[in-house]
Amino acid sequence: MRTLLGVVVAAVIGALLWWGIQTKDERSELPSALVGRAAPAFDLELLPGARADWGERLDLSDHLGKKPIVLNFWASWCYPACYEEAPILQAAWLRYHDRVLFVGVNTQDELDKAEKFVEQFGITFPNVYDPRGRVGIDYGMYGVPETFAISAEGRVLERFAGTISAEKLEAMVREVLP
Amino acid sequence: MKRQVWLLVLILGLAGAQTVGNEPPPDLSPQVFEIAKKLRCPVCRGESAAESNAGVTEEMRRQIAEMLAEGKSEDEIIQYFVDRYTEWILYEPPKRGLGLVVWLAPVIGLGIFGFGLYSYLRVASRRAAELEGVSEEELARAEAELGRDDEGGAPS
Repeated sequence: MRTLLGVVVAAVIGALLWWGIQTKDERSELPSALVGRAAPAFDLELLPGARADWGERLDLSDHLGKKPIVLNFWASWCYPACYEEAPILQAAWLRYHDRVLFVGVNTQDELDKAEKFVEQFGITFPNVYDPRGRVGIDYGMYGVPETFAISAEGRVLERFAGTISAEKLEAMVREVLP
Repeated sequence: MKRQVWLLVLILGLAGAQTVGNEPPPDLSPQVFEIAKKLRCPVCRGESAAESNAGVTEEMRRQIAEMLAEGKSEDEIIQYFVDRYTEWILYEPPKRGLGLVVWLAPVIGLGIFGFGLYSYLRVASRRAAELEGVSEEELARAEAELGRDDEGGAPS
């Protein structure tokens, strides 16, 4: 009986140790304080490449509550995650641009590098420039890349941390579509 | 005289060098770092927003400084970050709910260990006391009987 108890205790301690040393991306497991709440607005300068179509600045409050929005935080130094998801985001934008607004938030980056990234992937949805990363904190962002789904009513429905797959993005878009 | 002046300069220089690295950058007040110490770095493991050099924590410290300049209290500033990141952002878990379990875990662990040790010592001392009451002759007889059993062996 005593031996059995010892084995059980050792097994429990071993299982706890094994669980503790597992390397996992805890960002995706962390809750977002924003889900269910009104999406924070911001007014930021657009990256130069987007100005011809969207003007000098983008004020998100002009779009919140009018159309669903997919908000993506990225940076040119975020390799490979941001590089992997950029073509996925552009493809989804081309497909849904008439029903969903995609907005990129370039975070804590250098302007020329950010612009080069946009050119490299031929990104045509508007991207704002946030060198301080202020908007990221407003959205409770843990690190780039992160993607938020905002409903047509202007509420955050979901946050996805990490490289987004085409399937996941499609699911997010469907979630925000009225 | 000249030598004494140089010595004084050297001593003052060394005294100044002692504080380098322990003080926050001159553009942010120590109060900013005191508050940042209570917040976690969102992109690091086991570092507070005061210690980390990550870009996001630089911005957090800048925002703390701005809010202090606006006259906000420490509680209001911490709540600002909790509103955006949940209580996960607190460097020390809150002393309630699940956070209380984290705070009490060492005490509970120590209690279980102490109880186990106490139980073991009590049983051990009781056995020792029982043995003390046995005479030398009884012990010798018991040992002889045990020896006889061993010689007989278990049936194979």
